[in-house]
Amino acid sequence: MKLVQLSRTEHGHLRINPALALSVAANVHLVPLTLSEIRTVASQFPVFLAKDGETGQFYPCALMGLEPHENLYWTGSALDADHIPLNLLRLPFFIGGADPAQAAICLDEHSPGVDANGPCAILEPDGSDTGYITTIHGILDRLAAGKAPTRGFVERVVGLGLARETKLDVRFDNGTGAVLNGLYAIDETALGRQVAAVTDFDDVMVLAAMALSLAHVGGLVRRKNRRIEADAQWLGAAA
Amino acid sequence: MTQAVKSVCIVGGGSAGWLTAGLIAARHRGAPGGEHCLSITLVESVERGAIGVGEGTWPTMRQTLRKIGISETDFIRACHASFKQGAKFVGWRTGDPDDFYYHPLVLPEGFPDLDLAPHWHEAAASSFSDTVCFQEFLCENGLAPKLITSPEYGGIANYAYHLDAGQLGKLLRDHCVGKLGVRHLDDEIVRVEQADNGDVTAVVGLRHGPIKADLFIDCSGFSSLLLGQTLGVPFVDCSDVLFIDRALAVQVPYDGPDSPIVSHTVSTAQKHGWIWDIGLQSRRGVGYVWSSRHAGADRVADELAAYVGPAFADLNPREIAIRSGHRACFWKNNVVAVGLAAGFLEPLEASALVLVELSADYIATAMPATRHAMDIVARRFNAMTRYRWDRIIEFLKLHYMLSEREDTAFWRDNRDPDTIPQNLCDQLELWRHHPPGEHDFASANEMFPAASYQYVLYGMGFRTEPLRRPTADERHAAQDAFARTTATKRKLAAMPTNRALLDKLAQYRFQPI
Repeated sequence: MKLVQLSRTEHGHLRINPALALSVAANVHLVPLTLSEIRTVASQFPVFLAKDGETGQFYPCALMGLEPHENLYWTGSALDADHIPLNLLRLPFFIGGADPAQAAICLDEHSPGVDANGPCAILEPDGSDTGYITTIHGILDRLAAGKAPTRGFVERVVGLGLARETKLDVRFDNGTGAVLNGLYAIDETALGRQVAAVTDFDDVMVLAAMALSLAHVGGLVRRKNRRIEADAQWLGAAA
Repeated sequence: MTQAVKSVCIVGGGSAGWLTAGLIAARHRGAPGGEHCLSITLVESVERGAIGVGEGTWPTMRQTLRKIGISETDFIRACHASFKQGAKFVGWRTGDPDDFYYHPLVLPEGFPDLDLAPHWHEAAASSFSDTVCFQEFLCENGLAPKLITSPEYGGIANYAYHLDAGQLGKLLRDHCVGKLGVRHLDDEIVRVEQADNGDVTAVVGLRHGPIKADLFIDCSGFSSLLLGQTLGVPFVDCSDVLFIDRALAVQVPYDGPDSPIVSHTVSTAQKHGWIWDIGLQSRRGVGYVWSSRHAGADRVADELAAYVGPAFADLNPREIAIRSGHRACFWKNNVVAVGLAAGFLEPLEASALVLVELSADYIATAMPATRHAMDIVARRFNAMTRYRWDRIIEFLKLHYMLSEREDTAFWRDNRDPDTIPQNLCDQLELWRHHPPGEHDFASANEMFPAASYQYVLYGMGFRTEPLRRPTADERHAAQDAFARTTATKRKLAAMPTNRALLDKLAQYRFQPI
């Protein structure tokens, strides 16, 4: 990865292939979410809280694989999902700097999404922004503006004792299994006890969406079984 | 005598007073107006200030602070605390340059189901503690016992703290008064009023007049105002066993903001005692404790100066007298003593704060409902607490009496059989052929597990000659355990340094889960 600040003169001529940019997600099992997208994303992926390894602070995330560096939604060329989290949609662009007000847009110059044959241009021939880069701006703005509300939400959840460490211990059809630690789910029992303390109705909806999203773990297991079966067939054919 | 116990007055602040107030208040704050709701008052002379003994804790402090309701992040920040993973004893056995051993806080691998003591000699490329436990590896490499992602009070390796005791008192005071409803009076006690049966009815403050209570907790420090002075409970001197009676303490600044913070207490044997070295976030606490019967202050000051190095010239050493011993009983009438008012031993193995925690926790848990019940609770408390003091005294003596040092009378005198408690002699007789095991420590109120005795015994070169040879199964289980320890060390090599984790904690908080 090589992050550089996006500039019209340096990068205006580049073309982007968003699908290829997304290929980095092939090795990602947890994708950080911003508060405003949790309800939508939770309709498709299990949504947990996890801890940032550098800071120890909780963040909401979508679970896409059952072990580190595994993404069961990645088909080899695309992410097989109706709703893609903003942190994947923005690729290969990043927000630089800690202060959202001063945020600079950065580009990963080494991203496979920087592709001369890509379908999306950064600038129109007349030098104005393309619809694509305007969309990217919108996504990055949403991510930057969502930082503080997301942090506030996480603090309320943890402060009220609504999260509970959840060890995912799953079995696959071929007899193998996987154990995934470090995930914290919404504890429905605790939520039931504390429901009067959750004063913001939007919080209630997000918490309910997160609690219900655990059902998607079953979908991950099904995808894993299909992948194991496909690998076995491929290996069988190779043999 | 059926009078209900509804009010508690703690006399004296400091770590002992405020830990006691916190533990009792956290347990008994209950619904206001409840039948057994206790009112808790702490009266102290703020001017007088606390002595601030012991900057090392046991792992019990984690549970204590959690019970009181203080977050670990707030505690570490406020008390400039750092993580402590045990003690390194340097020079205790022979005094040679490479003479050291560890008493870590993690039990030997598989203990107590598996006893590695009969096997470690065969495997030993290194010391007992390094062979049977991974924690010496963390300590020697300056690594932390937990990660920034570890929850509050939880860790990868067992740990305690090094802390600034003065700051601990302030943190607890603010929490007790602000959150737990403890009434705080700043006053000088001028008189104590008693009933005909000897019970204390009130302590009379210069400004507040009589402060009445049903139960008084004496945290007045060495003066032992209520238990010793008022109720006349005699002091049991232990200096015939433990010779240390003086301390010369200094605060040593770090060389720079990146200086490593050692994550264990370093206890270095000297000619007439030993030097403690405790790394806080902001400074090191260093002190020489010695026996005044064996050396004068001038001689130990020279040794301390040599230990600290050139920085010593700019420091102001503070001399503290230590009276080694405890009261003959700890709860009499309606007065119970906690902390220095109950007694003090030297700082070896950091027994001061843990005794405060254990005593206060018992008082909070067994809080008598009536004055009549108090006598029963008092009898139990006295038996239990006396047992604990005796075990601590024996364990501390063990460190000295096993020494092979011949250089001074201090070390030779420590081996004099007349100075060794009989129970310890009995244990050592058994340990010549059986490693210390749980069967040697049958009480529910043990202070040190059998593993602690193993760490000290085998660290000091003691040999146990077993009566029987291990079976093949036992040997294999031991080999597996040694392999697990080695594997754990490899896995833990990526832990952050103690300094790095503490620096990170200045910016981020541990999460409650």
